[in-house]
Amino acid sequence: MTHQNYDTRSVNPIVLFSINHPKLITWLMMIFTVVIISLAALPNFFPKELPFLHSIKVDTDPENMLADDEHARVYNQAMKKEFSLSDIVVVGITNEHNAQGVFNTKTLTNIDKLTKFALSLTWPDADQPEKTAGVIGIDLLSPSTVDNIEQGGPGTVNFSWLMPSPPASDAEALLIRDRAKKIPFLDGTLISDDGQALALYIPLTDKHLSYQLREELLTKIAEFGDIEESYYITGLPVAEDTFGVEMFKQMAISAPLAMLVIFLLLWWFFKRLIFVTSPMIVAMVCALSTMGLLIITGNTIHIMSSMIPIFIMPIAILDAVHILSDFFDRYNSIRDKRQTIIHVMSELFTPMLITSLTTIAGFASLALTPIPPVQVFGIFIAIGVFLAWIWSITFIPAFIVSIPDEKLASFITSIDSKDKNNKTLMARLLIKVGQFTYHHALLIVLITVSLSGVAAYGISQINVNDNPIKWFAESHPIRVADRVLNEHFGGTYMAYLALEVDQNAAVDTDFKPALLARLAIAAKQAKADDYANSEVIFSQLQHTIQNHQGDKASLGNALNAIINTGFDNAADDEFDTWDQAQLFIDSEGQRSQIFKQPKTLTYLEGLQNYINSLGVVGKSNSLSDVVKTVHRELLLGKAEEFRIPDSSNAVAQTLITYQNSHRPHDLWHFVTPDYRKTSLWVQLKSGDNEDMDYVEKEVAKYIASHPMPHNLQANWFGLTHINVVWQEKMVTGMFESFTGSFLVVLLMMILLFRSFSWGLLSMIPLTVTVGLIYGIIGLIGKDYDMPVAVLSSLSIGLAVDYAIHFLSRAREYAERYGSWEAAVEPLFSEPAMAISRNAIVVGVGFLPLLAAPLVPYQTVGVFIAAILFLAGVSSLIILPALITLMPKLFFKKIIRPMQ
Amino acid sequence: MTLQQLFLGLSTLLASNIIFSATPSVDEIVNRTNYTSYYQGQDGKAKVKMTITDAQNRTRKREFVILRRDVPTTDAIENNAYEGDQKMYVYFSRPADVNKMVFMVLKKTKADDDRWLYLPALDLVKRIAASDKRTSFVGSDFLYEDVSGRNLAADTHALIGTDDNYYIIENTPVNPDEVEFSKYIMYIHKTTFLPVSTEYYDKQGKKYKTYTALAVDTIEGHPTITKSEAKNLNTGGSTLMEYSSVQYDVGIPDDIFSERNLRKPPRKLLR
Repeated sequence: MTHQNYDTRSVNPIVLFSINHPKLITWLMMIFTVVIISLAALPNFFPKELPFLHSIKVDTDPENMLADDEHARVYNQAMKKEFSLSDIVVVGITNEHNAQGVFNTKTLTNIDKLTKFALSLTWPDADQPEKTAGVIGIDLLSPSTVDNIEQGGPGTVNFSWLMPSPPASDAEALLIRDRAKKIPFLDGTLISDDGQALALYIPLTDKHLSYQLREELLTKIAEFGDIEESYYITGLPVAEDTFGVEMFKQMAISAPLAMLVIFLLLWWFFKRLIFVTSPMIVAMVCALSTMGLLIITGNTIHIMSSMIPIFIMPIAILDAVHILSDFFDRYNSIRDKRQTIIHVMSELFTPMLITSLTTIAGFASLALTPIPPVQVFGIFIAIGVFLAWIWSITFIPAFIVSIPDEKLASFITSIDSKDKNNKTLMARLLIKVGQFTYHHALLIVLITVSLSGVAAYGISQINVNDNPIKWFAESHPIRVADRVLNEHFGGTYMAYLALEVDQNAAVDTDFKPALLARLAIAAKQAKADDYANSEVIFSQLQHTIQNHQGDKASLGNALNAIINTGFDNAADDEFDTWDQAQLFIDSEGQRSQIFKQPKTLTYLEGLQNYINSLGVVGKSNSLSDVVKTVHRELLLGKAEEFRIPDSSNAVAQTLITYQNSHRPHDLWHFVTPDYRKTSLWVQLKSGDNEDMDYVEKEVAKYIASHPMPHNLQANWFGLTHINVVWQEKMVTGMFESFTGSFLVVLLMMILLFRSFSWGLLSMIPLTVTVGLIYGIIGLIGKDYDMPVAVLSSLSIGLAVDYAIHFLSRAREYAERYGSWEAAVEPLFSEPAMAISRNAIVVGVGFLPLLAAPLVPYQTVGVFIAAILFLAGVSSLIILPALITLMPKLFFKKIIRPMQ
Repeated sequence: MTLQQLFLGLSTLLASNIIFSATPSVDEIVNRTNYTSYYQGQDGKAKVKMTITDAQNRTRKREFVILRRDVPTTDAIENNAYEGDQKMYVYFSRPADVNKMVFMVLKKTKADDDRWLYLPALDLVKRIAASDKRTSFVGSDFLYEDVSGRNLAADTHALIGTDDNYYIIENTPVNPDEVEFSKYIMYIHKTTFLPVSTEYYDKQGKKYKTYTALAVDTIEGHPTITKSEAKNLNTGGSTLMEYSSVQYDVGIPDDIFSERNLRKPPRKLLR
């Protein structure tokens, strides 16, 4: 009992309370967990009874990487609305068994059937029953729904459906192909570049209907029976919806599988099931209650937040394994479970508190990034780590003291016999490692320095890039469809460049000379056309313009007033002259319709040609294509007439002709009805952010060297652009958050060790680990994407942990054994063992993630293992080597009394 | 103007007209409607202001003059004597950049129509292949066929109901593959035989387009729709046509409707 009195003073009261009331602690933990899980789970089953609680919300929309009110997103929404652009499901159709590809009667008949079926897929809107949701038929692109414009005999132009009904013969099918190839808007979009495949573009009122649409289409395709052609359904909405499904599979299978592997490894290390269950319980409790809290607080399950359990589990197990490992070794000598646990906890309490705080700091720093899902991810992992700490220092000791003495006794004998005869392979290896670090310290440091050099080179090679499609494994149907479609077509990744007048640009104030010159021409024409009294009437306008003081708008009003008076008092034969005067004023008003002007369209054409010349761009579409195509067909289909006409009136008349079609609204996808804004569509062959980034930079260069007319400004929109925006934010945000948490952790270390040099030393394994990890990423050419970016936070959490445990023991042992040399061997028995067990258990435990169907989880699995391995190795090898080289720096106090 | 108001207007306007004691035959109803919609007088002229509004409430305006001349010299409904070939000349005055653009139709009941387009800025006269008349009329929600009139023989007609004011006629296409609708239902005013409202249904049976007469006037004894709206329920857009200076029996010479006259508009007639 005397021992106990001595020990209890050194241990934290919370720990002591837990040891004294093990049952209470167990109950507390159970109730806490059950309450949280119930609050999170019940509203999903009883949403009506519990309206005040949040149900599970899944969010797979990459757009949500940016906050709702983020400029890029708001602008994207506004532009999508202005140009009536919807989210699109793409159905690609190929036929490898026919020399004409899909252009045969059978395949085209099926495509026609599928189109008609797709057109029928509308449902009452869930939120507004009077509206319909589903396929937007008017914007669906299919051979059956698009218009053809071509020569229809001498001097005749023919507007008709491209495929009014399925062709009766294969020769007719080829005609459909040839017609579609001639229309730039369709070539490379509807029909493949090689003329073998077709793609249907099915717009939806809401992208969340895409999974439903895909299922319906697949059922319909199955009805076709034995078919030659293949159907590939993709497009970003489908990918997102499918991702949501896979994410749940992942959470339901891979994460528990990781738990199982960790469990088996722990069992192998500690040999006793009863020991192993407690860390598993803590890990489970922490992962479940953190996810519960996430749902209760109304946050969504997102690609980032779905990874929270995977990050929390290793951290939760880490602390528990330290306690168990220490207990396991101490119990041999103390032989009293209560005394042992008090001893272990008094030794481990501070390092555990500090390691938890550093981990929390590492993840909480993510809250400073500008990406909402990453903020949520960081904050909730920090909460999970806190829970892990609380339950590790209370439940684990409580659990251990509850184990009956007989069980522990039988356990000791087995350990003893083993210990006496021969130490385990790992134990012997660790002792050797300890000796090696002492005798070859310089070599180790030199190797570390040269590896750091290599890592630095690797980091300089890092390629920042993300691509939501690549979140799927290569063999996934979504990836396959993506590959096939982008091989055949101009690209399925849409980006849009909006050109509009800069509202802030300076207005041309001296407009009168040009206006008067144009008036003179109109007056001359009116005279030539024999309009009565035209000289007098037009000179009235001229005087008004010359004498007017004020801006353009007030001049317009003044002129209209004169013309109205003129109409009222006009003699019968002057009526037409006044009409000519008004026509002049009206056409002056139309000069604001800049996208009818040949100069503007020619600029647009040049810009588009430049964009098309960029390797990553498959195709682009713009207003100038529409104008050129219709102009060519109006002028006998001659290739040389594929051009912008010479006057804005000619453009206007070309466009009004284009609108004499089945789909007049198609024009408004390219230009607004006031002709002040245009959207240029760019189709990219891949969704790689680096490709889009490249296009944006090249276009900016082009615009800088080719100034735009009319003070135009260009802005990108579309999901492909949004991805680039959040990626930029991620890179800079992550760098800042990592730097911030690095400094915070360094400060904490200096305070903990009350020494600048020890503080700095403890940061070395972390620095080496992060450096090597990112160096390797750069060297092997793995893209720096979102999962890779957040791994830096995990490194802070784990690598510093090992350093704290190792160094605090190193200091303690050096004091206890009188010198650093004497401390090396004991340091490399029990503490090194705990670190190694930790690294192996958690590292290997996460390798099952490699089996996950989603690439981000695979990445995380591999890199968690690598971080743990590197952090363990660098703590156990570099730290002792550095201490050996510079003992005076670290052991001033110890060495002095020895002298 | 609501339909009730419109009906009141119609009733007072035409109180003197003959009230049919018995329901006329379907054939008679559709022929009378066809006549009042497209054939009144030997010829006719109207100025039209067209306002196209899209789902975002953005508007575009067009102004044009329609000249029409019938080939048959009688207005008699009996034996469909009124029905026959027609000539139409549509001259655009606004927006300014399409000023002088002309669309001309020689409508034939027994053969394909002849259609021309004159684009002054390109100095181009273009024949338009007559393969499909169900395309948009200058980007509006009215179709070419709405402007020129749909051949009665293209549909079968059934009287599916009558009420105090209307005969309700269901029209089903004879060749369903040639059109995008499955049927259209007309609400024909009993005394004037004007189609006050028409509803089009797509192949899935969903109503997707409506035409409504918003104002009616009696001009030179002819009941005439002077304001008409087409609504496209799929796009959310609509088009309003407002007629002014409507005249019948103007004496439009036949030679106006020639390819040569596309380039030389008859200024006086268009005033």
